[in-house]
Amino acid sequence: MYTLGIESTAHTFGVGISDDEKIIANERDTLKPASGGIIPREAAQHHFKFAPEILKRALDKSGLKLKDIDLFAFSQGPGIIPSLKVGAQLSTFLSKKYNKKLIGVNHCIAHLEIARLYTKLNDPVMLYVSGGNTQIITYYNGTYIVFGETQDIGVGNLIDKIGRRLNIPFPAGPKIEELARKSRHYIEMPYSIKGMDVSFSGIETFISRLIGKEKIEDISFSLQETIFSMLIEASERAMSYCLKDSLVITGGVAANKRLNEMGEKMCKDRNASFKAIPMEFAGDNGAMIAYTGYLMRDYMQKDLAIKPRFRTDTVEIKYR
Amino acid sequence: MKTLAVGSEAIIYEENGTIIKRRVKKSYRIREIDEKLRKSRSKAEFNVMQFLYKGGLNVPKPLKYNEGKKEIWMEKIEGIRLAEKFSVNDAKEVGIAVAEMHNLGVIHGDLTTANIIRKDKKLYIIDFGLSYHSSKDEDFASDIFLFKNALKSKHNELYKEAYSYFLHGYKSKIRKEFKGIDTHLKDIEERRRYNESY
Repeated sequence: MYTLGIESTAHTFGVGISDDEKIIANERDTLKPASGGIIPREAAQHHFKFAPEILKRALDKSGLKLKDIDLFAFSQGPGIIPSLKVGAQLSTFLSKKYNKKLIGVNHCIAHLEIARLYTKLNDPVMLYVSGGNTQIITYYNGTYIVFGETQDIGVGNLIDKIGRRLNIPFPAGPKIEELARKSRHYIEMPYSIKGMDVSFSGIETFISRLIGKEKIEDISFSLQETIFSMLIEASERAMSYCLKDSLVITGGVAANKRLNEMGEKMCKDRNASFKAIPMEFAGDNGAMIAYTGYLMRDYMQKDLAIKPRFRTDTVEIKYR
Repeated sequence: MKTLAVGSEAIIYEENGTIIKRRVKKSYRIREIDEKLRKSRSKAEFNVMQFLYKGGLNVPKPLKYNEGKKEIWMEKIEGIRLAEKFSVNDAKEVGIAVAEMHNLGVIHGDLTTANIIRKDKKLYIIDFGLSYHSSKDEDFASDIFLFKNALKSKHNELYKEAYSYFLHGYKSKIRKEFKGIDTHLKDIEERRRYNESY
């Protein structure tokens, strides 16, 4: 069964195709603003512009034609409204034109499912860290529950905000990581963990007062150490509380080597497994939407409207 | 010394009827963060336990604090954790105990059914590692919110009923006007990302 999935929740437009559980194409393009952050309208314009090319590339890669596709899937949310609309409209059009079923997929759950597929970890705790999202998710009793999450902004968003203050272009993660590697001087920062939840806005305010007074290498180092310690601590609490023995880190921030190193050490110390997933499937991608759409194929939901605030824990997981 | 439990941040030992909670080093974080967290949390936890114990709340009696080893010594409560055996009737009693703790101006910071022990007819709240002093409506609400989430994640099948019993018990004992706390409770839920209620 061929499933074509479209991802367009934020600044990445992606098309993936799966043949049952096998990913046979995963193409995408990501908007990189010259300055500042993502402007929703510009993200949508980017997606409209690149949609035909990405779709064609995915089909070429798989050797399929649109008429061969058995099921269309799209990322229903959470995300930015103008971006979400592009994927929803394109997939609706394709499903009508070729008279095939259409399925809406929760973006966060898709991240988790592709992580399970590529790490072969059946029941991990997932630390999902991206620009907009920071959630610790695990399977429990028929749903993916959000065990901990940010109470304000996503961790990637925090890094980008700090990056803007330090004149580092978007996305700031790689540069901050590089700067951090040059320092070993820790500046004490607010460490805000409430139960399993984390909060980042205090750090942003705190760092804004350091700029110009401290070296940016030291700021970057201290920032990374603080926020990643918080995330790994919350992940460990979730593993301990839910008795899970594996962790995966996914989302765009999963590209950070220091975060992975900390996750690995934490797991090693508690005899748990840690696996990183290939970066191709850690960032936003169409393949995860196709694959999750395939998993959900027998449980179609009626509501196919975009859901900008789609919560992970509201989806009933009947296929597990 | 017998190891009783290995938690995510501390190891619990038992020695002659005394519980020793030792915060262990975490190799994933740098020494500066690790030392500071372990020290401040152990000390704060010990102080809060002393305060609550003297205030008459059911908590293990704190015995001593060892700063070098990041250890807290306390009396052992022989009982069963609610996480292992939990019914909706327990929820009301938890509500009462939490309200009494709040009346003393203490926020637990990690309220789950794993952190409440039943011994005979009494409930004991344990693990004050994330506790702090406050009498703000918002902080009361954050404790309630944590417990609600804990119910949802660990006792999903009875969560709704248990939560209403919990609130019932809480409201019966809390000395502050509940309306103010409730406003913050709704606010916390809405502040989370992707809330579908608005």
